[in-house]
Amino acid sequence: MFDKDIIARAERDERDWRQRYDRIVERFGEAAPKRAKGPSTRSGLPLKSAYFPSDLDDIDYRRIGAPGGYPYTRGNLAAQYQMMNWANQPVIGFGLPEDTRARMDALSQQGMTGYFGQNFYNLLYDLVSHEGLDPDDPAARGRVGQCGMAVYSVADMARLFDGLDLAKINVVHITDYQVVPALAQYIAYGRRRGVPAEALRGNTMNYYHQSAFCGMSAFPPEQGHKLAVALIAYCARHMPQWNTTNFVGYDLEETGGNAVQEAGMMLAYGIELVRSCIEAGVAPDLALSRFGFQIAQGNDFFEEIAKIRALRQIWATTMQERFGVSDPRAMHVRIHTHTAGATLTAEQPLVNLIRTTLQAFGAALSGVQAMEVAAYDEAYAIPTEEAATLTLRIQQVIQEETNITSVSDPLAGSYFMEKLTDQMARAATDLAEEIERMGGYIAAQRQGWIRTQIENSAEQWRDQVDSGESRLVGVNCYQSDDHREPDLFTVDERVERIAIERIRAHRQERDAGKFEAAMAEFRAAVGLFAEQPMAGVGDDRLMEAAIAAAEADATTGEMMAAMKAALGWDAPYNFAA
Amino acid sequence: MPEVIRVLLAKPTHDGHDRGVRYIARKFRDAGFEVIFTTFLVADEVVRMALEEDVDVIGISSSSHGHMPVFEDLFAGLRAHGLDDMLVIGGGVISAKDQSVLQEWGVSAIFGPGSGADDAVGHVRENVRRKS
Repeated sequence: MFDKDIIARAERDERDWRQRYDRIVERFGEAAPKRAKGPSTRSGLPLKSAYFPSDLDDIDYRRIGAPGGYPYTRGNLAAQYQMMNWANQPVIGFGLPEDTRARMDALSQQGMTGYFGQNFYNLLYDLVSHEGLDPDDPAARGRVGQCGMAVYSVADMARLFDGLDLAKINVVHITDYQVVPALAQYIAYGRRRGVPAEALRGNTMNYYHQSAFCGMSAFPPEQGHKLAVALIAYCARHMPQWNTTNFVGYDLEETGGNAVQEAGMMLAYGIELVRSCIEAGVAPDLALSRFGFQIAQGNDFFEEIAKIRALRQIWATTMQERFGVSDPRAMHVRIHTHTAGATLTAEQPLVNLIRTTLQAFGAALSGVQAMEVAAYDEAYAIPTEEAATLTLRIQQVIQEETNITSVSDPLAGSYFMEKLTDQMARAATDLAEEIERMGGYIAAQRQGWIRTQIENSAEQWRDQVDSGESRLVGVNCYQSDDHREPDLFTVDERVERIAIERIRAHRQERDAGKFEAAMAEFRAAVGLFAEQPMAGVGDDRLMEAAIAAAEADATTGEMMAAMKAALGWDAPYNFAA
Repeated sequence: MPEVIRVLLAKPTHDGHDRGVRYIARKFRDAGFEVIFTTFLVADEVVRMALEEDVDVIGISSSSHGHMPVFEDLFAGLRAHGLDDMLVIGGGVISAKDQSVLQEWGVSAIFGPGSGADDAVGHVRENVRRKS
């Protein structure tokens, strides 16, 4: 990227610098810390102690380009935050639907907005729903409305959304594998309100791929993958404003994966998913332009930024070169950052505010589209309202007071950042190619390979913390004797009782004949789906039957029971062949 | 102390937070314990597996609430099957208030965030009951 004279001069500078640097290190001898002698990132990418123009010698400038220009290393659009800040998107969800609604309204008043000033709600379902149960199931005891909202039917949707303009708001439904019943209930609720599916805006998770590394029970990998494609196909035809799939690299890092694994494994799944979409008759341009990414922002400050720049680049180049997509939106990696929950500590919880501020700052420098900043008390419980408001304030201070929103991709051109982005892009691409050689993401999942890789990384990290090699303030250094917990949020005990009363009344009050008929069709559709090859799952029958069942007031537990029976359901560790 | 300590580590199937318990399973194996890892919906499944596998120690991991009913049912089930001498430990995110109740119920130790694996290994070795 530089002419010969500059490179020659820079090489002399580097030699001089290296001599001076080595002398200093030598002076310290054994006392020199590891980062002085053999520095590396958390993923193990080698670092230098200083960077020079010659480090960019083997980087093709065309892989960097301009903000908004292929391959989008520097951002999806020509304007980053100059016209519009990233969207502040806290995750909300606890208690009864009306409890969650109260928090939604409170945060909206505090400036929680999405793109173009729209109201935006990132809504998390509870673990009972995640497991595909209803609140009166024996296994639901103690979990109703905990870690998410107690929403199991169209009636609960009404308690959550009545009075809001469904055609104007954006709703992210944070489910796990109950995405079919949850979306069906939302569509059915919309129809009741006179809003057709075409007009609904929002996201579904559709991330069955997370069962490769997360611990919840799941559908078998191949069935989950078919469900993902079926939903993409349905939305391609009927929900033009709906973002179908969330690539959940975030959870991959949370379970212990590193930045290279996050970028590489998401790319590998992207290849697998687009290939399957083509098989099911969905054009790659159409499928890809409705994908989103939930990406972690962890503690290795520059590596996490390089990860995002590299992911944008390798996604665009891979999708263009492999699948011939041409729509820029089909090459964009639209990122919703979550600051890394796994970096929060229970010790000295207020210190978490400092960690999350740095992470949010890094995400802002990376040019992401939206953010969820974890709350300082999240290592313990659902955030209090004060803690949740502070997560907004962190973003607002960065947006309003630092002036970093004036310049797109401000770290571009840094010898170090460009080199690290290149290293990350190569390592992540290598990992994706390794997975392709194993037969693709689903095959690698079947072999248990993905989980083993992530667990190896998790163990390595923890060993480094226990040995003191990785420092964690308050945990293995700068400890305090003050072990008081912050004032924690608790979910009212009445929530479980009321949710159970409601679901029982709901089953009594619905039209039994209509319900039975709709469930019979849903069971038939699921049974057929279980046997269908990938090429057949784009026929919409499953989603249409699910919507009809939801309109007949089927609950999440009832619909999921039918799906589990037909498709299989087990702890994800048991799928490893 | 049994010759080889057999440990059942169990996590509610609803709870995606398995990083800690999967890590401790590795460390227990490294320490020479025989480790059975399982997920469960209700505590009875854990009791049944403890009987079938003839374990000395049960470890319950919880990071998403809902642990109080689990431990309550677990101790009731252990008592009903004469497994009163089982060493029961806990891990994950459990509030200080719940921890003190659980210790009254008979949970021997809870290894929360920041605990080292060595402490858990040492605790099991020192506290596992001799089988009659």
